[in-house]
Order: sequence, then structure tokens, then C-alpha cells
Amino acid sequence: MGNYSHPEVLVSTDWVQENLGKPGIKLVEIDVDTKAYDAGHIAGAVGFNWQTQLQDQVRRDIISKEAFEKLAGGAGISPSDTVVVYGDNNNWFAAYGFWLFKIYGHQDVRLMNGGRVKWLNEANKLLTTDKVSPQPVAYKAGPVNMELRAFVPQVLEASKSASFNLVDVRSPDEFTGKVIAPPGMTETAQRGGHIPGAKSIPWSTAVAPDGSFKPADELRAIYIDQKGVDPKKDTIAYCRIGERSSHTWFVLKYLLGLDKVKNYDGSWTEYGNLVAAPIEKA
Amino acid sequence: MNHEKRVYNDIFEMLPNEENPSPMVRINRTGLSPEFRLFAKLEWLNPFGSVKDRAAWEMLRDLEERKELGNGRGIVEPTSGNTGISLAAMARTRGYHMRAVVPNKVPLEKKVLLKIAGADLDVISDELCPAPGLGDGSINLAKTHAKASRDRYAMPNQYENDKNVEAHFRTTGPEIWRQTDGQVTHLFVSLGTCGTVVGTSKFLRSKNPNVKVIAVQPTEGHDVPGLRNVTQLGVSKLFDSSLIDDILEVDFRLAYTRALELCQTEGLLAGPSSGLIYEGAREIIMRDKVGLGVMIFADNIFKYTSNMMKHIPGLAAGTQA
Repeated sequence: MGNYSHPEVLVSTDWVQENLGKPGIKLVEIDVDTKAYDAGHIAGAVGFNWQTQLQDQVRRDIISKEAFEKLAGGAGISPSDTVVVYGDNNNWFAAYGFWLFKIYGHQDVRLMNGGRVKWLNEANKLLTTDKVSPQPVAYKAGPVNMELRAFVPQVLEASKSASFNLVDVRSPDEFTGKVIAPPGMTETAQRGGHIPGAKSIPWSTAVAPDGSFKPADELRAIYIDQKGVDPKKDTIAYCRIGERSSHTWFVLKYLLGLDKVKNYDGSWTEYGNLVAAPIEKA
Repeated sequence: MNHEKRVYNDIFEMLPNEENPSPMVRINRTGLSPEFRLFAKLEWLNPFGSVKDRAAWEMLRDLEERKELGNGRGIVEPTSGNTGISLAAMARTRGYHMRAVVPNKVPLEKKVLLKIAGADLDVISDELCPAPGLGDGSINLAKTHAKASRDRYAMPNQYENDKNVEAHFRTTGPEIWRQTDGQVTHLFVSLGTCGTVVGTSKFLRSKNPNVKVIAVQPTEGHDVPGLRNVTQLGVSKLFDSSLIDDILEVDFRLAYTRALELCQTEGLLAGPSSGLIYEGAREIIMRDKVGLGVMIFADNIFKYTSNMMKHIPGLAAGTQA
């Protein structure tokens, strides 16, 4: 599929249709607005709410290992299962879920290319409102892989040194500081602009008009040849709250095969609030 | 039905057509060019309050004729308000349920009106940095209902339904041609689903290929409900640039100031999209100097008082004891 470096983590809508209901394959829809899931989802898919189920509800953090185990086990997922995630907003939140599954060591997790919008617009694909009642299982997370996640100290180091790629995946107006966040967003920051040294490569650069990923040669031309991402360096992707950057993290790590790629989920809502942190505008 | 006495057996007989056109009123105080006569076609005088009565009726009748409605099956439609209000009122009167999926930024007045008209409401955030051309959240949610609950919902889909265009080819175009005695030289419209511009333009051009069609659109990042900037037009499958001579981009804030001006100088209680069109028409009058122009004024100001307060400084002052 598309000559990607790790094609095994991406499945097509047709593949999902052909494998519906097969044992060992678990579908998870991950949305920011679960109205979409409630209105209709792929048969057998469980629904995760990005805001309330993948985020710690007390401190600002991803859910703990224990909470992840409870969530996955409650959804009937075993560590040996193939988990296929898809979701709204072009898979941003599904990509975030994919990242979370990888952090907690799930072996076989895959993203459905194009997300729910692609499935929705294909005439031969069905949706259902039927409730899913998975049989809970005991889920034991694998080794936790925090190498996939960037924190402020690493981001500051990346900004200062030339040995990292810093990729800002927000819209051009957010990058320049013309706006702090897209209109209507409640999560925002005290300051607008970007992390010094970051390259502006909006997330949507990676997708075709139908919402699926562009082929590897096109992605390589954009990210590496045109925008100057150096495949030999470590890379950190960020956005506003870490969901759009999960999408680009997936592109860089799995479709282009860059070795060390981290998602900075604190993103601009953390960095733009840091006292005395350097910021560039325009 | 008696159009002369305006006595009707039911509300649907009042829907506009060549025999019962929506009124056109001359704009008298532009102060720009006496050789350019400018008229506003007042679509809010349609029975359900907007230009969308035309497309809603055409789409509803089509669904009825194809036996898509009834036996528990109603309508789901993405709407910024007016189509939903027309559809909901029509559907409920004819015995069908209706679900309207609206973007959050639609004014509160319209959301409440949708509920008053009998619609179930889904309000969703459409603002999350959407990628161009991928459709927006309200359209996708409506499509989801239609796909997952086929027994409950038919979706007219005004963004892709040719009946939206046909409605204007069948009514708006012929009305204007007759009301101007074939003298119309300029048509001024805004862009949303593009049904109005495509249908009306097609008809007028079939009568006179020289009629100029001017579409007025708000600047990107605008706050004028119901309209789309050209960068947002990917969602409409009806858009046909060959039927439009000029697309003017106007600072969206002028939609509000010109709407206020129309109220206070012409006595026309026109909504902000009409204000935007009026600004565009003024630019063309200064350019072309001579002509007979018709502006499609989609709806009136009553649904936009909260937006007017937001964009006209001082309007809210003195409204509390």
C-alpha cells in the first residue's frame, strides 16, 4: 500500500469491510465528538471519547497504564488482538489513540486509511447504530514506550540545537501567531507564534482529497525534499493539543520510516503558556 | 387559491412562482448612478421566511414523489438554518419528522426557530481546522444518520441535489425575467449551496446570454451565517463557475453595516447576507454605471439580532434598564 515503510500499520476501508467480525480483530472508533459514533459506526466498533476516555480527567496527561488497561480490557481487547482504529476529523484522534496504544505496548494496532469520512462516502460501506456490548477481558499492557512522547525539556533542547527536526503541523496562521488557536477553540495559550527552529508543515499536507494518505513518494518529496526534514535526525512533531501532531507523527514514523519520532502532546497549549520560553512569530 | 385577493387553502399555495413572485423593491438611495436601477428581491416574504422555501419545497416534493418519506421515515439535513426551517415546517405540516444538523456558529435565533418549526437539533463544532475539500462536520453527521438509519431518514442534501438548482430555474429566474420585462442586466447573489446562483443564472442566460451574474462572498474566516467563502465551496457539488461573471470578495463586517444601512435608509429589514450583496452591487454600479440589477435578498434581519449586536458596536447599549 503506497510504498510506505511500514505498510502493515495501515489498512484500507476495503480491508476493514472484508475482515468485519473476524475473531482477533477489534475495531475502535475514536472521536472528539461522539455524536458521530452514536449516529452511526462500523458494525462491531466500540467508541472511545478522546476527551473523556483517553485523557486523565484530573491532571493534564494521557491516561495512566492502569486506566488504559481498564479501557482496553473493558472494550474486549486482548493484547494479542489486531486493533484497528479510525475516527472523525480525518483520523486525528484515531492517530492519537494509535500513539497511545503504542505507548502502552500494544503489538498490533493499525489505522484505517481515510478515517470515518472515507468510509462514509463509499457507497458500499454500511454504518449501524447497533450498540456494542463487548465481553470484558483482563488486559495487561506491554512495556511502556515513553520514547514516543516528547516533554518540555526535550522540546527546548530541540529548539536550541540543530540536531533535531521540529515540525509544527498547525495552520499557517497559528504558526505565524496571527491567531493563537482556530476560531471557537476553548483550549488556547497566552502567546501566539511557534517554537524557534520549527518548520511549518500543516497536517493536511499529508492527505489526498478523499482523506487518505498520499503515497510515500509524494510524502517524501514534501517532508524531506521540499520542507527539509532530515531523516537522520530525531524528530518532534507538535500542534495545539497533540492530536493533529499524532497524525503527522504517524506519517513520519510509519509511512516514511523515520527512526526516532516523538509526539509533543503538550503542544502549543503548553509551550505558548511557558514563562520565558523563546517564541518566534511570522 | 386566489393570488389577486391573496386567499389560500393552505400555506403551500403561497410558495413563490412566476404567477406569485416574491416582491422586488427598488433601492432609491445608493447615490451612485441614476442610470443604474437596482432592485432587491425580498425572499423573506416567502411563507417560511427565506429564499430556501424554493429549494426545500422542490426537494421535499421530489422525495414524496419517489415515495422516500412516510411510515416513520422523515428527513435529515445539514443546514445553517434557513433550509432547515423551511424543510422542518413543511415536513411537519405534511406529517414527517425532521432532524437538522447545524454548525455551532449558527445564530441562536435560528437554532430556536428550528426547534419551533419542529426539528430535532444536532449542534456540532465545525471549526476544528478542517482540510479543504473534505466536507464539513454537519454534512458528514447528516450523511451518517442517513446511512446508519435508512429506515428513519432520507437526506435531501441541498449541497448535491439538482432539485435545489431546478427550483430556481423553475421559479426565481422566470420571476425576475417577468418582473423586469426582460430588461435585467445584472444579477447579484451570495454563495452558499450555490443552488440560487446556478438555477437563476441558467434561466436568465437562456433568455439573454449577456446578463451579468455577480456572486458576492465574504472574506475568509467570516461570520456571516449561510454563506461560504470560495475556499469553502468544495462542499457544494452544485457550484459552476462558468455561470458567474465576477466573484467579489467583500470584508464580511460590511455585511452588517450595510444591512443596518438598508434598514435605516431604505426601510428594508434585510439580513447580513443581503448587506454583503448590496456592498457588492455598489461596487459594480460604480464600475458599469448603466443597467438594471436584481439582488436576491435571502432573508431578513430578525434572525440575526445577536450577530448584529456582536458586529455593530453600540447596538447592545441601552437595551437594559
